[in-house]
Amino acid sequence: MVRHVIPSSYREALVHLRDGSFHIVAGGTDIMLKYRNAADLPPRFERDVLYVLNLDELKYIHVEEGVWRIGALTAYETLLDHPEIPDVFKSAWIDIGGPGLRHVATLAGNIANASPAADGIMPLYLYDAQVVLESCAGSRTLPIDAVITGPKQTAIGPQEMIREIIVPKHDFDVATWVKVGTRKADAISKVSFCGAIKVESGVIKDLRLTLGSVAPTVIRARDLEATVKGITLTALEARLDALLDAYAARIRPIDDQRSTKHYRQQVARNLIEDFLKQQIRKG
Amino acid sequence: MKDISRSVPKEDHEEKVSGRALYVSDIQMADMHYAKTVRADRPHARIRNIRLPELPEGYVVVDHHDIPGANHVNMIFEDWPVFADSVVRHVGEPIMLVCGKDKQIIQSICDEIVIEYEDLEPVFDLQESVVHKSFQKGDAAAAFARADQVVERVYETGYQEQAYIEPQGFVGYLEGEKKVTLIGSIQCPYYVKNAVIKTLACDPEDVRVIQAAVGGAFGGKEEFPSLIGCQLAVAVHKLKKPIKIIYEREEDMIVTTKRHPSKTTMQAALDSAGRVLAIKAHVALDAGAYIGLSGVVLSRAMLAVTSAYTIDHLDVKGDVYLTHTVPNGAFRGFGAPQMIFAIDMFMHHLAKHLGKDPYQFRKAHQAKQGDRTATSGIFRDPILMDAMVEKATSMSDYHRKQKDYASPDVYRGIGMSWFLHGCGFTGSGESDHIKAKVRLRKSDTDHVYVLVAAVDMGQGAKTTLKKVVVETLGVPYNQVTFDDPDTDAVPDSGPTVASRTAMIVGGLLAQAAQTLKETWKRGETQVVEKTYRQPEFVIWDEKTLRGDAYPAYSWGVNIVEVSVSPVTYEVKVEKIWSVYDVGKALDERIVLGQADGGIAQGVAYGYLEVMRHHGGHIQHKNMTDYIIPTAVDMAPTETVIFDNPYALGPYGAKGVGELSLVGGAPAVAMAIEQAIGRPIQKIPATPEMIMELMRDETH
Repeated sequence: MVRHVIPSSYREALVHLRDGSFHIVAGGTDIMLKYRNAADLPPRFERDVLYVLNLDELKYIHVEEGVWRIGALTAYETLLDHPEIPDVFKSAWIDIGGPGLRHVATLAGNIANASPAADGIMPLYLYDAQVVLESCAGSRTLPIDAVITGPKQTAIGPQEMIREIIVPKHDFDVATWVKVGTRKADAISKVSFCGAIKVESGVIKDLRLTLGSVAPTVIRARDLEATVKGITLTALEARLDALLDAYAARIRPIDDQRSTKHYRQQVARNLIEDFLKQQIRKG
Repeated sequence: MKDISRSVPKEDHEEKVSGRALYVSDIQMADMHYAKTVRADRPHARIRNIRLPELPEGYVVVDHHDIPGANHVNMIFEDWPVFADSVVRHVGEPIMLVCGKDKQIIQSICDEIVIEYEDLEPVFDLQESVVHKSFQKGDAAAAFARADQVVERVYETGYQEQAYIEPQGFVGYLEGEKKVTLIGSIQCPYYVKNAVIKTLACDPEDVRVIQAAVGGAFGGKEEFPSLIGCQLAVAVHKLKKPIKIIYEREEDMIVTTKRHPSKTTMQAALDSAGRVLAIKAHVALDAGAYIGLSGVVLSRAMLAVTSAYTIDHLDVKGDVYLTHTVPNGAFRGFGAPQMIFAIDMFMHHLAKHLGKDPYQFRKAHQAKQGDRTATSGIFRDPILMDAMVEKATSMSDYHRKQKDYASPDVYRGIGMSWFLHGCGFTGSGESDHIKAKVRLRKSDTDHVYVLVAAVDMGQGAKTTLKKVVVETLGVPYNQVTFDDPDTDAVPDSGPTVASRTAMIVGGLLAQAAQTLKETWKRGETQVVEKTYRQPEFVIWDEKTLRGDAYPAYSWGVNIVEVSVSPVTYEVKVEKIWSVYDVGKALDERIVLGQADGGIAQGVAYGYLEVMRHHGGHIQHKNMTDYIIPTAVDMAPTETVIFDNPYALGPYGAKGVGELSLVGGAPAVAMAIEQAIGRPIQKIPATPEMIMELMRDETH
């Protein structure tokens, strides 16, 4: 018989995690689907269940010098209401599910679920966000791409849970989000894209591109980004095709019921091209 | 007299908005038991052996051995088993029901059942024709012989899922020793009743079918519920307990009937002036594993071959093919959407091939009053298409946009479809098969009951039919009652399908109300019945498919404007304009509701709704993967209703339900075609397909 545990404090939750093996339910919007049963029957959980959704200690947004700290159980709708969260985050998050889902779903849940099609985590890669994991033994802070190691796979230990997400502040000139989902609401991404750039006197100071749903995890090619840092937009224009080819080699999409490998490959390339050409045109 | 079109609150508004309406799954009964269906997991196989776990007391399995009567579902073509016996022919084919009191135990029993199969070769291509039909008009062969040129195009359409809000379901129980009562989410109470009588081999009075509140149907609850009804009736007799069966969404999407995928080959014989002399057409429908209604769907597809155009010489053929896939069936439009997509695109493509302006080309072939229909009947009633097209083009600024969007770098397009929809059953179906009967009963307190088998599945039948009676009698609304049909109480006024309810059932109710009014005796119980009689002018030969295929036609024009992203190849529908001739709107708001819902479904059929199978397994089996438009995808609509009263319809009304769907796909496809500068011959026009077209990749 599966045990259902509702801790009354974050500390208590960590103690349970130390002493048992649990599914952790934050908003529950992924896990309830994953273990769903026939209608009217309880989910087919494989382990005991720890419901952390009521832990108000982890529902916060702290604006600090240089960073935002987002408590793990902060719902997406709360994040969307915050005046200082950058638009690129909000435009990605507003594309998640519908309003009802966003009132319970959490950013930490999106990270822990580690879906390659997750919209919520894409801007975290763009901003080099860090994830604070904690257990009774202590806490550790990992970059987002070290936490999500593969489709549905994470570096989160069995006794750990996500405490908070730390997002460094950046002053990009432009930071955009594009979701390709075929319909405008309640769609799962076929391809998703984030692009950000900082240009000073025609020279690229920073360029970051992320792609979702086209590889086992979100793609952020820091080595390719490095090749264009310090060059001018004019020089970028000359190198554009080579850069697109280099990205194409990193994109490894699949065929599934939602789209084709071919389409995902082509659209991912188009999205990068379109973003970069817009920056080049702006000069 | 006040205008009947003026809207009144919907009859079912209060109970639905308040949550009081009882859908099947809301129905509770003492000692309720439940049933779950055990299904085939492969497309074609012989059942070698079935191993059942030991069943706890109070649990039974029900399969073909338990059927006292015929093991097929009574519908037009009787090839569809109630339960598979030795061979399964599609994934999800029902083999047995597991019934009992506790759902978890039922689930465990289902999980433990082992079925051993011997796999047989499945067929997925259209190669085994089981229904072939053809008809001729004029002399197509001679016209092709003298043609200046012949142009051929092939058009393909995919599956479409009805995606009703409420999945399929029934509650069944015994009344006394042998009478079985079924309460279901259904369109056609008497279809279910007649099917159950054959399966149980019982007397008609031993089956009672009651309609629960229906959460959408769109044709999906026309013939399919008969299958569940037969299974449940057998189970109720075996277990002798009330049993509820409610499909899961995925189960529903995998096993229930869908719109037939089609492939239509069109050939036109053109004269030297570029007029269409003749058309040869062949339409192929994929029926799935059983024929069911597919032959009738084929008829409606073929009869729509020239849609709103008049072509003098026709050679029209069609075939229904069996494949080892889920059986396809009724869906709003019933074959017409496939053909109207083909013919409207074909006319557009012929004009482009000839270097002519498509608008003028189509105009030159437009059907007019007095013309011969595709089946050599006559368009007797006035056709308002000139004025309707003028209205639609002016309100959408069609002609200017058509020019502006011609340049390749704007990625915008505007498309227009013209179409008709035959109202009621095809040919002599109403008089030969349906023989609709309606009844009005007045109590001694002068309260009037509308007794018909017509189902309100959200489309507004309760409101419009009651309105016809109320207005004809000239009594207050609260003096008339229209309860959900119960076959113990209402005569068989026919199924709620084929855009027949307002025109045929409403027409009979208007006659009955008129008679009741004329013979009204205060304080006395009175009963008035009317039975359908085919208008004398309708002459139809079912064998040659010649004559008046329908007593009346509704007409429509859809204009759709889109933009297409050259980066993601996604289509955004910007706006939709529609003009309809439905004779006379029995309630304006209800017709506008039908118009918005129909065009949403019709346009989405053209560009958004993708369903495919892989080796017979449906790939898009939930609402996450099967993409229907949400409120934010739906473009603004502007709809105008023209009055063109039909003499035999109540207050002049003709059919409404299907008309607003059938023209959506060609209109959006033509708009996409203009936006991307490439011809569209296949729907849905997905971003993946648009990419290949825009990049000139072979398809």
